[in-house]
Amino acid sequence: MSKDKLFVSPGPHISKPISTRMVMLDVIIALLPALLAAAYFFRLRAVIVVATCVISCVVTEWLICKIRKQPSSIGDLSAVLTAIILAFSVPPMLPVAFLIIGSVFSIAIGKMVFGGLGNNPFNPAMLGRAFLTACFGMAMTTWTVPANINPELPQIGPKGATVAEKYQGQGLEGITEATPLAWTKNAIKAKTLAQAETIIKENFNNSQLKAVLIGYTGGCLGETSSLALILGGIYMLLRRTITWVIPVSVLASAFIFAEIFHFFKPEVYVNPLFQMFSGGLLICAFFIATDPVTNPMTTKAQALFGIGVGVLIMLIRTVGAYPEGVMYAVLVMNAFTPLLDRLCKKTPIGGVPNAA
Amino acid sequence: MSQHIGAPCKPTVAKRQEVKAGDVIGDSDAFVSAKIHSPVDGVVKDIANRSHPVLGRELAVIIDVSEDNTAKLPKPESFESFNLQDYSQEQILEAITTAGIVGMGGAGFPTNVKVAPNEKMPKHTMIVNACECEPYITCDYRVMLEWTKQFIAGVKLIQKASGCKTVHIGIENNKPKAIAAIKEVLSSTSDSESIDVVTLKTKYPQGGERQLINAVMGKVVPTGVIPPMIGLLVCNVATAAATAEAVVLGQALTHRALTVSGKGIKNPGNFYCPIGTSVSDLIDHCGGLTDDAVKVVLGGPMMGFSIADMETPTTKTSGSILVLTKKEIGKANYLARQTNCIKCGRCVGVCPENLIPCDIASSVRARDLDRANRFNMSACMECGCCSYVCPANIEITGLIKTGKILNARNNRK
Repeated sequence: MSKDKLFVSPGPHISKPISTRMVMLDVIIALLPALLAAAYFFRLRAVIVVATCVISCVVTEWLICKIRKQPSSIGDLSAVLTAIILAFSVPPMLPVAFLIIGSVFSIAIGKMVFGGLGNNPFNPAMLGRAFLTACFGMAMTTWTVPANINPELPQIGPKGATVAEKYQGQGLEGITEATPLAWTKNAIKAKTLAQAETIIKENFNNSQLKAVLIGYTGGCLGETSSLALILGGIYMLLRRTITWVIPVSVLASAFIFAEIFHFFKPEVYVNPLFQMFSGGLLICAFFIATDPVTNPMTTKAQALFGIGVGVLIMLIRTVGAYPEGVMYAVLVMNAFTPLLDRLCKKTPIGGVPNAA
Repeated sequence: MSQHIGAPCKPTVAKRQEVKAGDVIGDSDAFVSAKIHSPVDGVVKDIANRSHPVLGRELAVIIDVSEDNTAKLPKPESFESFNLQDYSQEQILEAITTAGIVGMGGAGFPTNVKVAPNEKMPKHTMIVNACECEPYITCDYRVMLEWTKQFIAGVKLIQKASGCKTVHIGIENNKPKAIAAIKEVLSSTSDSESIDVVTLKTKYPQGGERQLINAVMGKVVPTGVIPPMIGLLVCNVATAAATAEAVVLGQALTHRALTVSGKGIKNPGNFYCPIGTSVSDLIDHCGGLTDDAVKVVLGGPMMGFSIADMETPTTKTSGSILVLTKKEIGKANYLARQTNCIKCGRCVGVCPENLIPCDIASSVRARDLDRANRFNMSACMECGCCSYVCPANIEITGLIKTGKILNARNNRK
């Protein structure tokens, strides 16, 4: 018998073949459709943005591990994931230097100062984005619509002012354009009801839903194509990388909130379905709010977290100062996570043991 | 000498004394205890400390098997014409005590103490744990299939001795053959009206006492309460079979069915072997280890104990010996790196006791036992599900076990 090779350790002696790296890899795979969509709509620009973020995030993490004299943790792929989400949530035309600053901030301040993956209270990608918004407000709110889109496709925005009709054949990379959510915001901000109604009518014809669903509108790099994001979300749900609790609670609460507003003032507030598919709501529901590190652990707390995110997003969209509120909604709810976990303490089956 | 929960036995034999199979070699005056018998004819070679599967090193009686020892064989045919009316309640209890029967599912609680009617806690329902939920182990399944009549006889005997009105046999739905065999025997023999078979979903840990009661009766056992306190009696398949042997044939508990399995063993199988056989003898009997074997486990892969000494004897509660290969244990390997907890909540989702395992584990790691207790550490039954699913490969169960030991040490001070 070859006794020298045997070893002992506490049970269980078998394990599920799953690792942090595999969890992260699954999420990255789920983001691939959105990545392809971004590459289709924004061409080379998408590749540049994503590559810049990934490289700078990974290098930052590797450097910090070196400085702290710890084994490198880049193998868990969480830096890659943070980078992709950050890249997906910035305007496509953001200068490369800004991207690097955002990435370094995400990893260094957002994650590594707390002790690396698992110890960060806030979603690193959202923290990086918040930092960029605070530093480069102008660049972070300048949206471009993909210039290479088919002019036959229905557009959002007033007729004659849209991309394809105006700039057809000028060989531009992208054209600065207000996002669908900005139009929504304009309608809400309009002084009179008549003005709001005009904006809504002019900008949102029947094909609006199709536009936001497929993604040829202005917006952040990875957020525009709702279809691709839903595909990725379904993949993760099937793989059980995420549970249904957070996506459903975020989307349902946001939908109900939007529906209430739309119901009472349809001339000011747009169709809730449109709200669902525009902006960062879907990427938030499937990829950002589901970040395991920064959301609560128990199902009940997760549901509350999701509802909080959904309601906050719609609050910011409808009554806040910004057209989109994903970033702040997630960061605010991240801060509530420990509290929610404490609030929803689980009772053991059969009650709390009285033995000390 | 420690094969059960309760006071360990004291050797009743001396060095160089001759013993026959079935002779008592260990006994104790304590109430919660069970006799130990020699499984073989032979001479007492030594009385000394030997490796114990769970307790480290314990006192043991080592017997040199004599050459003319005849192997004891199971006699399932003796139960063909079993009639419950032939045995009185006192007779059954007496036989269980004499035979030194203990709960053979793992805990090893002396059966005579468990079964004996108790005025303070009258028992009304008996549940037979036929789940055998841990992977690999199949010895209970073979017992149910091959010794069906003996098993049912044992169930009836225990029912009569304990005074339980109804009996539920809880069995997982991955054993349809055993279910059919049991149902057939029940319908063809007398005194089976109060016994029914409950088919349960196949899942781990279905065979945990509290989980089983919940699954069979839909009843939640309060934390810190043992089943007798609410009138329930849970017993295991092997225990029932051993009881039948003890009462009908008058044989002591000296042999048991046992699974030797795992990819690291050349010829896995189920064996009826003397209690006290060393692990190395059994492994040699099964053709030895393969080249990639890395771990030998006494008990199931989830809750069993890996052993360091191949001369460790099997005990009354050893249901299986597993030899696992590197591939099988996967990341349940002390060499595999543990990464940070990513708070994914997978352990929370799988915990059958509704605990938050990762918080208990992190508290124990920080030596903050108060915090661990606030997360109800003592309610953990150490099933191992949390470690199994952990993507960060944290030994959550191991840490909780450590925490419980530290707790016990603090309480003793």
